[in-house]
Amino acid sequence: MAPEEDTQSLTDYSEDGVDLTLIRWFLSLTPAERLDVLQRHVNAILAIWELNAGK
Amino acid sequence: MPESDFQRALRALHEGGVEFVIVGGLAAVLNGAPVDTLDLDIVPARDEENLSRLLRVLDGIDAIYRIQPSRRLKPNASHLRSPGHQNLISTCGSLDVLGTIARGLTYHDLLPHTIEMEIGDGVRVRVLDLETIIALKEELAGEKDLAVLPILRRTLQLKQRPS
Repeated sequence: MAPEEDTQSLTDYSEDGVDLTLIRWFLSLTPAERLDVLQRHVNAILAIWELNAGK
Repeated sequence: MPESDFQRALRALHEGGVEFVIVGGLAAVLNGAPVDTLDLDIVPARDEENLSRLLRVLDGIDAIYRIQPSRRLKPNASHLRSPGHQNLISTCGSLDVLGTIARGLTYHDLLPHTIEMEIGDGVRVRVLDLETIIALKEELAGEKDLAVLPILRRTLQLKQRPS
């Protein structure tokens, strides 16, 4: 199988470019788990902002 | 910069007996939409008893207005009684207390369009449902709202008929 065919079979985008695999994964989590994922993202972003403050 | 802690803010509101609905980006996340947000948006019931409870919680998490934080302006009952938006920063991060949203919708207008969710440690919160979030963003049609709409619509579609 050619590499590009292999990659295509592993992705799923809607016609407007939304990554449906990401939505399915997020829907598979409980609300508490979704909150935890968001919290970790936000904390990571805030930490990076702090590290780069004033740059 | 205060650390963001959605769970601690929501637990404080829950334990303080505050009646409120989560709206905005966090409501979308809790409904399963993979979007990022940095603040917590809530619409509280604006009766006097609830506003007193809310003020106690806001005081407990040291909430002040984000504008000119060096002046440490605290919200008071008269601010919270208004239909306007109180953009606050607290020890739990950014918190927007919205008297009304969109075309003047209050807590009681939104309540029939909410889902109760458990967010850990027995804390249950009322979250605006995805259908209403989409409808309000379509109505507002701001650039930020339009940008996130494709993700919200696809999430709703997959929620309704998972494959």
